[in-house]
Order: sequence, then C-alpha cells, then structure tokens
Amino acid sequence: MPVQAQQGIASPRTSAGLGGLAPALILIGLFFVVPVLALLLRSVTDPVAGLQNYAALLGDGTYARVFFNTFLVAFVVTIVTVLVAFPVAWMLAIMPPALASLLFSIIILSMWTNLLTRTYAWMVLLQRTGVINRALMSVGIIDQPLPLINNLTGVTIGMVYIMLPFMILPLVGTLRAIDPMTLRAAALCGASPFAAFLRILLPLSLPGIAAGGLMVFVMSLGYFVTPALLGGTSNMMLAEMIAQMIQSLLNWGLGSAAAFILLVVTMALYALQLRLVGNSRATGAA
Amino acid sequence: MLLDYDRLGWLKVALLGFTTLVAAFLLLPVVFIVLLSFGSSRWLAFPPPGWTLKWYEELFADPSWIEAALTSARIATMTAILAVAIGVLASFALVRGDFRGRAILRGLLLTPMVLPVVVFAIAVYAFFLRLGLGGTTAGFVLAHTVLALPFAIIPIATALEGFDKSIEDAAIVCGASPFQAKLRITLPSIRIGIFSAAIFSFLASWDEVVVAIFMASPTLQTLPVKIWGSLRSDLTPVIAAASSLLVALTVGLMVVTALLRRKLQT
Repeated sequence: MPVQAQQGIASPRTSAGLGGLAPALILIGLFFVVPVLALLLRSVTDPVAGLQNYAALLGDGTYARVFFNTFLVAFVVTIVTVLVAFPVAWMLAIMPPALASLLFSIIILSMWTNLLTRTYAWMVLLQRTGVINRALMSVGIIDQPLPLINNLTGVTIGMVYIMLPFMILPLVGTLRAIDPMTLRAAALCGASPFAAFLRILLPLSLPGIAAGGLMVFVMSLGYFVTPALLGGTSNMMLAEMIAQMIQSLLNWGLGSAAAFILLVVTMALYALQLRLVGNSRATGAA
Repeated sequence: MLLDYDRLGWLKVALLGFTTLVAAFLLLPVVFIVLLSFGSSRWLAFPPPGWTLKWYEELFADPSWIEAALTSARIATMTAILAVAIGVLASFALVRGDFRGRAILRGLLLTPMVLPVVVFAIAVYAFFLRLGLGGTTAGFVLAHTVLALPFAIIPIATALEGFDKSIEDAAIVCGASPFQAKLRITLPSIRIGIFSAAIFSFLASWDEVVVAIFMASPTLQTLPVKIWGSLRSDLTPVIAAASSLLVALTVGLMVVTALLRRKLQT
C-alpha cells in the first residue's frame, strides 16, 4: 500500500499537525466520554452508592429473560444474514459489471432509505391483514393469518433486512480477493464443485464471514428502533428495556447499569472483531 | 470454477435466482411504501381500491410535518458542516501525524459509531439536562456531530491516505505557505472524500432517531421524531406520503453522488 510508504518518510513537522486533533478531541471528550462516564458513575451511586443495581439486574428472572432474548435475536439475525448474504456476495463478486452495478444500486437504495421508513413498511406488510398474509391466504398456503409481527419472526425479518448490506458489501471484497486460479486448480485436480466449495471457497472466505457476522451481531445486540416497533412485549430486547427504564420508569440507576452491561459486551465483541479484521488483512496480504 | 461466472453451469442459475429474490426483498419495502402513499384506503388495504393524492395534501396541510422537516434539515446541515470541518482537521493529524497513541486516538474518535446509540442517547440526555442544552438546537447539533464524526473522518482519511504528499511539498518548494498548499492543492484533490463525508454526516443526523427521541421537546422535534410519534399512535397513510418523499430524497442523493463522482474523477 502506498500509505505505508508515505508514512515511512515522516517529515519533521508531523507533530505540528497534532493541533488539528484538538477540536475533535474536545468534542468527543466533552460530549461523549464525559457523559458516558457520568452515566457509569450513576449506575453505582443512584439511588445509593453500591452495586445493588447490578445485583438487581443480574439476579432477577425478568431481566435475565431480556438478556436471553437480546442474545437470541442477535444470534438468529446473524445466522440468517450470513446465510442470505453469502450467495449474493458471491454472485456480486463475479457477475458482469453492468449487472453488479444494478445490484449495488438496489443495496445502496435500501441502505440509505430512512430507517423508520423501512420499518414502517415492514409493519404494514407484516400485519395480520397485511399484504403478505393476504397473499399467502389467497394462494391457499395458509387459511389463518400467520402472526408475523410483534414476535421473533417480525424482529428477525426487519433486522435481517437492515443488516444485509453490512454483511454483503464487505463479503464482496473478501470474495474478490480470492484468486479464481485456486478453484480452477481444484477442479483440474478432480475436486467436485461441492468439495471445492467446502474445502477451498468457504475456508478462504471465512475471515470475511467471521468479521462481518460479528459486526452484525454487535449491531443487533444494541439495536433499538426495529425491535421496539416489530417486536412484542414478550421478547423485549436490552436497548428497549434501557430506554423504558429511563423514559417511562425514570429509574436512572437501573437504566444506566443496564447500559453499562450493554457497553461492556459490545466493546469486548468489537475488540474481538478488530482482531479478526486485522488477521484477515494480514493473511490477505501474505 | 466456482469463481468463473461463465463456467458455473447449473449453479449459476440457482445462485442468480436466489440473488434476484434477495434483490426483490431489498426493494419490496421501498417500492411498497411509495405505492401505498398513492392508495386511497385509510386502512392501508393493498392493492388499494383507488389512487389519490390526498395523503400528500394532508401532509402539506399540517404545519407540524413541515416544521419537523425544516428542523431536521437545519440540524443536519449544521451537523454536516461541523463534522466535515472537525473531520478534515482530525484526518490530517491522524494520517500525517507520527505521534505515540495515534491508533488509540483514532479508535477513540471512531467509537461513537460502535457504541449502541441508546447508551450514548441516555448519557448525553442526562448530561444536557444538567447543562440546560436538552431540547435545544445546539444540543441536537452537538450530539449529532459526535455520532457523525466517524462517518466524516473515515472517507476523508481514506482520501488523504491515497493522496501523494509530494505534490503538496512541491507547492511549498515553489513558494506556497504550508497552509496555502493544503488549501489550494490538497483539499481540492481529496474533494471526493470530503463530499462523501458531507453526505454521510448529513444522513447520520437526518435519519437519527434514538438520540432525537430523548432530546426532543414539544417545541423542537425532528422529522424522525415526528414519524416515530405517528407510528406509535396509528399507521396513517400520511406516514407513507412522508416516507415516499424521503425515498425520493434518497434517490436524488444517490443520483447526485453518482454524477458528482463521475465529474470529479475526470
């Protein structure tokens, strides 16, 4: 990469540029780091000093259910997203440029469309008397409307829809970096397409799948809007619970403790993801 | 063979079929909402019994929708300007600087992109309540700039990494001051990155829901807050009309981006 070469010949006045970081650091320090730290402090001081908020969160069955639901939804969404994204990314990596740019436009359009707009569309599409239920009933596949909204199905459909671009786009990069020759060699040596897929294509794209999947998982864990609108009360997720604790119940101690737990889990997984991406870059360069 | 498009055989048919289905899935809500906004049924029956423009009339007759859209546009524009200005300065330091802890600082500035928004939302909500910034335009802009900054830094820093610094040095050798050289040589060369940064940070604010829900006051609400409120009360087709205009805006942005990129690259 030319980047490294440029940084190699460091000019003498590089540290002078440090001043340029000042506005960014003031902004992030004052309006991001300080508020988040103040929130964490509140989790161990509100209403009284101590760890009672954490004890309450981790010791109670209701909250345990929310934690379980959060991980369950994130897990299901990640698996479905990976399974759907892989074939699409595969095609995108090798299809003729005209077709690929059409498909890219569709992906970007869905990604850039307002989040609430997309979620609203799914609310209408998935409701009891919605288009999907009517279509299924008129074809005769079902004779009672399926419960598609306010449950795990609704959240999964809505979330997979939002996460797909985040999985497809990086995967295309991974797949394009694989040398087609390796697969031609496998075919020449007598490998069946299935064996070539399982022993060569899949292992070579695994770093991209792992990094993208982890990113989708992390994003899903803390997602608020879609689960709140498409999910039901029985499968509430952590982010919605935090918002409720603060907005409706005004229980700042409990809410900030739950927020801190979400922060720790997210950051730990993010660190893991950074290592994965780093490793895949390293192997990609080798 | 698996990566040769023309030699996939039956697998190509299967994969293309699946890809078409996914493309339809991605298009479905966007197309559906636009069709729905012209449908005459208040109960969102589809296909609609007839076609009408009355939801758009209702939308434009209601000053609270217009006001929310203008508030959003104002906040998003200020956010984009602030994020790009801060982002340009920070990117120069991050890309060109050679100081200890550079990677850590870069990570810190990008953290708002990773931290679940709800955590930041309640933190900044509590903080701004204490400072008296809750429910103010300044509060909105500051909170949104924090969220938009990573989306400004990434494209600008990427563009700057790809820029050959010796051109800037040549300008200095020819008598330009370092500031002049940056302003007249470097910034125009990385304009695609700056332009992407402006679009992304505008969208980051324009579409932002979670911080806005906490921060909004009865007198100051952004478009997403207005939509959120309507969604929670009923699914009126007026939301579909507002949503379709947002889709039109997205398509417009995509076209402008594509055209400008083509123009800037030549």
